[in-house]
Amino acid sequence: MQFKALLIDAYRQLSAAKLFWVTVGISALVVVAYGSIGFNAEGVTIGFGAYQIESNQLREGSPWARGLYIGIFSSILVNIWLAWIATVLALISTCSIFPEFVHSGSIELTISKPIGRLKLFFSKYLVSLLFVIMQVAIFCVGIFFCVGLRIGEWNPIIFAAIPIVATFFSYLFAICVLVGIVTRSGITALLITGVFWMLLWTIQTSEAVLNRFVIQQIVDIERFDEGIITATEELEKIKTVSSEDFRISKLEKRIESFQDDSEEASELLAELDMWHTPTSWVLTLSPKTAQTIGLLDRWLSDPDGFDIAAIMNGDMSEFEGEELEEFDPTTRGARERETMRRMRVDYENRPLFYVIGTSLLFEGFILGLASWYFCRKDF
Amino acid sequence: MAVIQLQDVEKVYRGKVHALRGVSIEVMDGEIFGLLGPNGAGKSTLVKILMTVIHASKVSGTMLGNPIGNRKTLENVGYLPEHHRFPYYLTGKQVLHHYGALCKVGRKERNSRSSSLLTRLGLAGWENKKVETYSKGMLQRLGIAQALMNNPTLLILDEPTDGVDPVGRREIRDLLAELREEGRAVFLNSHLLSELEMVCDRVAIMVKGRVTMQGTIQSLTVDSQRYEIKIAGEMPAWAKEHCSEVHGNMLVCKGNDPSIVQPILDRLRSENITIVSVNPVRENLEDLFMRAVDNTDSPGAIQ
Ligand SMILES: Nc1ncnc2c1ncn2[C@@H]1O[C@H](COP(=O)(O)OP(=O)(O)O)[C@@H](O)[C@H]1O
Ligand SMILES: [Mg+2]
Repeated sequence: MQFKALLIDAYRQLSAAKLFWVTVGISALVVVAYGSIGFNAEGVTIGFGAYQIESNQLREGSPWARGLYIGIFSSILVNIWLAWIATVLALISTCSIFPEFVHSGSIELTISKPIGRLKLFFSKYLVSLLFVIMQVAIFCVGIFFCVGLRIGEWNPIIFAAIPIVATFFSYLFAICVLVGIVTRSGITALLITGVFWMLLWTIQTSEAVLNRFVIQQIVDIERFDEGIITATEELEKIKTVSSEDFRISKLEKRIESFQDDSEEASELLAELDMWHTPTSWVLTLSPKTAQTIGLLDRWLSDPDGFDIAAIMNGDMSEFEGEELEEFDPTTRGARERETMRRMRVDYENRPLFYVIGTSLLFEGFILGLASWYFCRKDF
Repeated sequence: MAVIQLQDVEKVYRGKVHALRGVSIEVMDGEIFGLLGPNGAGKSTLVKILMTVIHASKVSGTMLGNPIGNRKTLENVGYLPEHHRFPYYLTGKQVLHHYGALCKVGRKERNSRSSSLLTRLGLAGWENKKVETYSKGMLQRLGIAQALMNNPTLLILDEPTDGVDPVGRREIRDLLAELREEGRAVFLNSHLLSELEMVCDRVAIMVKGRVTMQGTIQSLTVDSQRYEIKIAGEMPAWAKEHCSEVHGNMLVCKGNDPSIVQPILDRLRSENITIVSVNPVRENLEDLFMRAVDNTDSPGAIQ
């Protein structure tokens, strides 16, 4: 009964704020816009058939059409709408829940009721999250029907966006709650949460950039070592024929230069590792917002289909229908592509515990602090 | 039976404010108990300790038979905090339902109680208006209604007449008397004296974190009972020996027995001294209060 009262109260508080309904409205518009994209025998239609874009590949029933449609959801709607704009709006509308709750004059009324402080705190936290979850859920139902009707795929994995986005939001909301109850100011809570979010972004980007260079060095070293092996083999072969071939000195020089390059790359790798290792430790300890949202992409992507995320990363190879070349150590483009491929594999193979578990541990720590403060405080 | 029994409550706030310095009080069943004292005396601190809003540095005692800090006890206690604030987006009725539900009052009872309380506190017709449109006095009355939602046996009111106009104060006073008739104990805090004097059965006076006096108003003022005899002309020399005090042309005889002044009056008359007036005097609560405050060298912040 007490939980229900808090639930009703949170609903009244949120719906008294216009922003809540504005967010619901924009959400509905986004779903309608998504649903307005369709595929027919000639290609893609936009705006419920108002515009027709002719295409050989993107048409009804083609795997690329599926890739594009699902990809728009998992990469654009989730990454840009849910994990960015809607999250900002949700933070704005929920940031003042806890400051209002602990406002002097109203907290005394609540805390003097026969309900434990810890229970009160977590109930309040849960009901606040519940409304964010509800918004995402309604959105996902809309998307589910769009996908079902447009490409005939009734894919329940779409609903995985609900826990994923809720988990992602809860990392930020925990900070918002902690700051909110300590400072009793919604604006401060919002600002500090924003700064924290930027900090997380910086950590994650730094790690990704450093990781990319580390992998690049590894790929380079492999390439140089491979070069040394082939050159050595060739050298042996030539030596058995004649010991005075003009190619011998050339090959020896090449081996030497490969060795130099390899050494140089190893030194650089060591130096990069010095930076990358602590950064990845910091990342391990902090909430991984981008990777959490990225889970949906992982789960929804069709290995044979078309990958919009790769295109957004500038990799047009699949779209051009070009077969991926075998790993050829000599071309720069291939090295680059190999680096990107290994990076994707690296991130996609990070276990769920690493992505969500450690993030939840961090969130638990923040909530622990907040609830401890709440339970100890003399209001 | 005592509904509240406290021994030696201490509270030191962080920042080293020693708000309570060994407070012991007792509130009996079915009485209106007034805790009086100037601002900053520690009255709200004491009440908040009872309501588990703050943690005491040291406390022993019981409320409704359970140790202080027991959550279950709070189901039977109504509380009106000082300067309370209701969520602006709620209507009067929603406020009562919300806090009633937090007090584990069932829906049916909430429905019937909220409408009867709104009527009883003169808020009929306002139940569906947002609390942000309420006046200060109405909010105070709604606060009392909120405190009564769980049909409490003990009602704790922190400055219930704060911001209420004189008519409203009178209504609240009558309500408190009615609640006492219903068998509830009322514990109230106030720095305003005049109204409380009329309604409290017992009072405690708190100054700077200490209770300096406690008891019925009658018992607290008994020491101050005296007769004041005003005369015209010279004060006779013998007056000093027979009376407790002499000020100008006034003789003061301490005590509440009229027989003590008779011989003095006889003697005055026999010496043809004009008696202007004979007054039985007894301190009122305000004098008592002022005396308590003065004794502790408080700056005397009474409003
Ligand atoms: N939360 C708090 N933190 C620190 N000091 C406080 C707090 N609340 C009250 N005080 C101090 O404790 C003393 C008693 O305050 P209070 O109990 O509100 O007095 P009263 O209700 O009698 O006016 C005051 O000096 C006040 O400044
Ligand atoms: Mg007070």
